[in-house]
Amino acid sequence: MADDTMALAQGLKRRDPELLDQLIEQYQYRLFRYLLYLTSSRERAEDFFQETWIRVLERGHQYDGKHKFEAWLFRIARNLVIDWQRQKKVQSLDALIDPEEGAPMEFAAQNQPSPLHLVLTAEQKTGVHASLDRIPTVYREVLVLRFQEELGLEEIAGVLSAPLSTVKSRLYRGLEALRGAMQGGVA
Amino acid sequence: MTDNLHARAETLIAQERVEGISKAEQNWLAAHLRECHSCAQVAQQTNDALRSFRGMAVPLPRGLAERTQFRVQLRAQELREREPKRRLLWIMCAMSWGLGIATAPYVWQAIEWIGERTGAPRLVLEFGFGLWWAIPALFAAAIVVLENVRQANERDSSGR
Repeated sequence: MADDTMALAQGLKRRDPELLDQLIEQYQYRLFRYLLYLTSSRERAEDFFQETWIRVLERGHQYDGKHKFEAWLFRIARNLVIDWQRQKKVQSLDALIDPEEGAPMEFAAQNQPSPLHLVLTAEQKTGVHASLDRIPTVYREVLVLRFQEELGLEEIAGVLSAPLSTVKSRLYRGLEALRGAMQGGVA
Repeated sequence: MTDNLHARAETLIAQERVEGISKAEQNWLAAHLRECHSCAQVAQQTNDALRSFRGMAVPLPRGLAERTQFRVQLRAQELREREPKRRLLWIMCAMSWGLGIATAPYVWQAIEWIGERTGAPRLVLEFGFGLWWAIPALFAAAIVVLENVRQANERDSSGR
């Protein structure tokens, strides 16, 4: 893997257009899914998807090839979302960074079906999809990174720029919330 | 069976999935789950929830990759076009520093002469001499900062 990521780092440094095309193709599903879970909005996820790849082009030289490319990619995407939140002041940034101290980040308006709900249920109207809505975004995020992306705990900590203890605590709470939500969804 | 044992089992069920557990803990948990129906149910529910979560499909917007590839190629072209300008700026800066070094003795003589005529303190003269050296770097830095601000504004207006 190390050789592959080093070659990738070299290609990004050169801004190799073919490599970028190939990476966009290869990671489109995973990046879009992550952004969708993070923003709960299809349109925003699309915007951030494109912006993320522009950043990859501009800052490709910062990827050192020593870590998984997807962890670096997700960190860029996440930072873009945080910057956007900061600009728009959608809600307290503290709530996003440390959910244990406040309400976890949510873009969707209260008492309405969220865009994530609409996007997911439009494709497949199952209790499983609908029940995901009940899980706060910060927990959905770590659940995606751990159980769909299968990143290690250290890698998730790198993506979130958070201590390992925070990642673990969010995962435990997220897992509990997932189990509860799925039970509720199925019932 | 005490509540402690059930609490331990539930902790291990989650821990096994989040960060892994030791062989001894795995054995203990397996033995407990064989005997305890409610904990076995928790383990089963956790497995089912994760299986459903992993199996969820997100529909991709049509043409997303193609549109992104197009935007990235445009941006790459822009960056390639700007590169020679940036290089020229640094070449000019380097030439300016080179000239600064070559003419330093004459510049200092001129500054000393001005000092004699005006009676300015030596500290002011030295500051003036330092500024003479710093001007190219300050000029280059200002151009780079202005360029970055312009790019950020461009992105803001064309993006969201």
